[in-house]
Amino acid sequence: MGKQNRVLVLLLGVLAVLVLVVGGLSAFLIIGGKNKPGSGSAANTTAGGGGGDAVKASSGVLRLAGTDPVTLDPHLASDSTSAEYVAEVYSGLVTLSPKLELQLDLAKSVDVSSDGKTYTFVLRDNAFFHSGRKVTADDVKWSLERASSRDLKSQTAPAYLNDIVGFAERFGGKSDTLSGVQVVNPSTIKITIDSPKPYFLAKLSYPTSFVLDKDQVTKDPKNWTRKPNGTGPYKLTEWTLGERIVLDANDKFYNGVPKLKQAVYLLAGGSALTRFENNELDVSGISIQDIDRARDSSSALSKQYSVWPQFSISYLAFNVKVPPFDDVHVRRALGYAMDRKRITQVTFKSMLLPATGIMMPGLPGYQEGDKTLPFDLAKAKDELSQAKYGTGPGKTPMPPIQMTEVGGGAEARVDTQAYLDQWKGIGLNVEIRQADFATFLADQDAGKLQAFNAGWIMDYPDPEDILDLKFHTGSNLNNNNYSNPAVDKLLDQARTESDTAKRLDLYRQAEKLILADAPWLPLYFEANHQVVNPAVKGWFDPPMVVPRLRFIEVTR
Amino acid sequence: MGAYVIRRLLWLPVILVIVSFSTFALARYGPGDPVSVAAGQVRDPVVLAQIRADRGFDLPITTQYYRWLTKAVRGDFGESFIQRGYSVSELLFPRMWISAQLGFVALLIVFAVGIPLGLLAARLAGTWLDPAIIGTLLFLQAVPVLVVIPPLVWLFAVQLHWLPAGGWGGIFSIWWIADVIAIPIPDPHLYIPLVAFTLPGFVGVARLVRVTALEVNTEDYVRTARAKGLAESTVQFRHVLPNSLLPLVTVVGFALSGIIEGALFVETLLGINGIGRFTFQAVTSRDYDVILASTVIFSAVFVLCNLAAELAYGWVDPRIRVGASHS
Repeated sequence: MGKQNRVLVLLLGVLAVLVLVVGGLSAFLIIGGKNKPGSGSAANTTAGGGGGDAVKASSGVLRLAGTDPVTLDPHLASDSTSAEYVAEVYSGLVTLSPKLELQLDLAKSVDVSSDGKTYTFVLRDNAFFHSGRKVTADDVKWSLERASSRDLKSQTAPAYLNDIVGFAERFGGKSDTLSGVQVVNPSTIKITIDSPKPYFLAKLSYPTSFVLDKDQVTKDPKNWTRKPNGTGPYKLTEWTLGERIVLDANDKFYNGVPKLKQAVYLLAGGSALTRFENNELDVSGISIQDIDRARDSSSALSKQYSVWPQFSISYLAFNVKVPPFDDVHVRRALGYAMDRKRITQVTFKSMLLPATGIMMPGLPGYQEGDKTLPFDLAKAKDELSQAKYGTGPGKTPMPPIQMTEVGGGAEARVDTQAYLDQWKGIGLNVEIRQADFATFLADQDAGKLQAFNAGWIMDYPDPEDILDLKFHTGSNLNNNNYSNPAVDKLLDQARTESDTAKRLDLYRQAEKLILADAPWLPLYFEANHQVVNPAVKGWFDPPMVVPRLRFIEVTR
Repeated sequence: MGAYVIRRLLWLPVILVIVSFSTFALARYGPGDPVSVAAGQVRDPVVLAQIRADRGFDLPITTQYYRWLTKAVRGDFGESFIQRGYSVSELLFPRMWISAQLGFVALLIVFAVGIPLGLLAARLAGTWLDPAIIGTLLFLQAVPVLVVIPPLVWLFAVQLHWLPAGGWGGIFSIWWIADVIAIPIPDPHLYIPLVAFTLPGFVGVARLVRVTALEVNTEDYVRTARAKGLAESTVQFRHVLPNSLLPLVTVVGFALSGIIEGALFVETLLGINGIGRFTFQAVTSRDYDVILASTVIFSAVFVLCNLAAELAYGWVDPRIRVGASHS
C-alpha cells in the first residue's frame, strides 16, 4: 500500500468516525424530537383534567435567566440563588408575603403562650405534598429534627433553629430528637423556645424550617433533591444541569391555583440583556454599561425598565482590635473623608444608593434621614488630630493600612480608587489588596484582614438579622471584633422585648451607637435594575427572596 | 511496535500520578477552600470545621491524596462541593460531550477550509495572492475571540434576530416536513460559536500545508510526474496533496486532545454549558474534586492522543519506524 493511500485511508477513517458520531447524535436527536410533542400534549391533558373545581386555571410561561442552585435541600441552602427555587418548591409553617408581612402558610393558626415561649401551630386541612400525601405534624417534627441534626451539618440551622429547646443537644449529636418540638395530634404541633423572642416566627419563614417528605428523603437520601416532593406552589419538573430548570404550577396548592403556569429558568446563554432584546427572556437585569440606554426615555428599553431596592448593604469593615483601627478616631476620620453621594453618582450612575445607616429603607425599625458620618473634611482632619496615631508629639506613627476587597484584576474597584484619593486628601495612605473570593473568605474567617469591603443580604425582615448577628460581642458572624457593652445591652433587651414599637426603638438606639463607633462604614444600599417584557403582568422583585411566581401573570 | 505501545502506555499511570499529585498539592496549599466558599453569609465555624473533618481536610496531604487515589482508580472521582449531591463524573462528562461536539465540528471546518487555502497559497507562491491569503488568515488569528463574539451577537441576534444570542441546542435541529420526515439541519445556536472558534484556527493548518506543499512541489517525483505529461490537477491531487498532508497528522493529534478541554471564552460569552467554563468556575470556587478529575482526564486524553498521532505517523509514513531505536 502506497503511503499516499495510507494518508487517504487515515483521513477517511477519521471522517468515518465523525460521520458515525454525528449520525448517532442526529438519530438520538430525531428520536428525542419525536418524543417531545407527545409528552407536551400529555402534560396539557393532565393539567386540564386536574383543574377540578378550581376557580381559574393557571396559564402562561415566564422565561427567566438563572443559575444552577448549589442545592435544592432547603435545610442546607444558604445562598440566594438556591433560595429563589427553594421558596417556590417548598413551604413551611409561616411565610413572607410579597410585602414581606409574616403570614401563616402550612399552619392555619398559631397560638403563643402567655410567657411567649410556646408556639402551638394547627396545620391546614388542605396542605398536601406534590405527591398528594397530606402534610402531618409528624412531617413538621421530622423536618425540624432533620434540619437540626448533627449528621446534616447545616450551616443555617445554628442561626435559625437555635432558639428551639433542645437544639444544642440535637446539633451536638447528643440527642436523637429535638425536645422542644412536640406533636400534639396529627394536625397540631407545639414548638417551645428557650426565652420569649418576638422574631422567632420570622426566623421560621426561612427555608431551614421548611417541611420535607420524610418518605422520599429517607428512601433516597442522596438524590431526592433532583425531583423533590415539596409542598410549595410550584413543582420542579425539570432540572438539567447548566441548561434549564422548569417549575410547573402545583394545581393543588393550598392557597389556590397559582396564576403562572410555568417558569422556565434558562441557565445557559450569554448576556441576559441581549437575550431579552432577542425575545429569549422575559426579564433581564441592567448593568451599568446599559443603564443610560434604559433611562433614555426615547429608547424602547426605558418603557420596560424598573428599579427594585434590595435588603442588601455593602460596607467597609475594620478589625477594631488591630492598629490603627483600634482607635475610633481613625475609623471616623476615614468615614468623614468619604464623599459617597458623589461617588455613587459618578462611578455607579446612581444605580446604588448611598447607605443612610445600617438598616435599609423598608426594614422594620428603619428611620428616615442619613445617620451615617457626613462628608466633612474639616471633621475628618479634626478626628485624625485626636487619634493616637500620626505624626506629632506623643503620637505613635500611623501603621500601614491595607484594605482587602474581592477582585482578580490589576486595579481596585472604581469606587475604591476614588476613596483612596479622598483619604489621601486627609493624609491617610491606604493600600488595596485584592483577593479572589475563596481567599478572601479564608482570610476573613481567620481574622487576618485589617480592613475589608464586604456586604450583607438580609435573611428575614428583622433588624436582629443584621444588628445582632454582625455587632453583638458574642455573635459568630461578628468578624471585626467589635464589642460595645452598651450596644450588647440594647441588643439583649431587644431580643426579648415583646412590644414591637419599643423593640424597634432599641434597635434604632443600637444602630446609632454602632454608627458613632464606626466599626463599619456603610457604603451603599443595593437595588436591582431590570427590564421586563410587557406581556408579564404583576412582576415584582422584592427586597429579599419570598415566594412570588404565583402572583405573576404572563399574557401571551 | 506492540512492545513500544505497551511501554508507552505503562508510562501513562506514572504521568497521571505526577499530574494529579501536583494538582492536588497546589489546590490544597492554595488559599481558601470549597467549604468556606459553599457556606454562604451565615457561617458557623464549628460546622465548617466538622465538614472539613468529614472530608478529611485536616489529615496529612499524603493521606488525603492516597484516599483520593484509591477511589479514583475505581472510577470514583468524588463529589462536587459547589453542586451538592452530584458526583464529579455526572458534572464533567455531559459538559465534556458538549465541548467535544462543538470542537469536532470546528475541527472539521478548520481542516476543510484550511487545507485548500494552504494548497492554493502554495500554488500561488510568488504572486501577491499568496501573502494576501496567509496575511488575512494571520489577521483573523490575531483578533481575540473576546472581540469577535460581541459584534456577531449584536448583528445576528440583536439587530437581525436571525440567531439566538447564546446557549446550546446540540449540533442538529430537526426540521419536520409535514410532521413525517425528519431532516437534521445545523442548529442555529451553532453558528456564532463556530465562527469564533474556527476563524483563528485556519491559519495554522493553511500555513503548514502551504510550506509542505511548496517543499513537495520541488521533489523529484513531482517533477517526474509533470515530465510524464500528467495534467496539473492530477499532479496536485495524486502526488502533492497526500504528501503535503503528512505533518497534519500530528496537528490532528494535538487538536483532538484540545477539543475536549473546551474553550473558556467562547463558552462564557455565549453561555454554552461546556467544560471550559465549568472547570474555570471550579477553580475559582476551589471545587477540589472537580479540578482534580478534569486535570487528570485532560492529561490522559492528551497523552493518548499524542501516542495515537505518533503511531499514525509511523503507519502513514513507513520511513518513520515508531519505537525503532528500542527494538
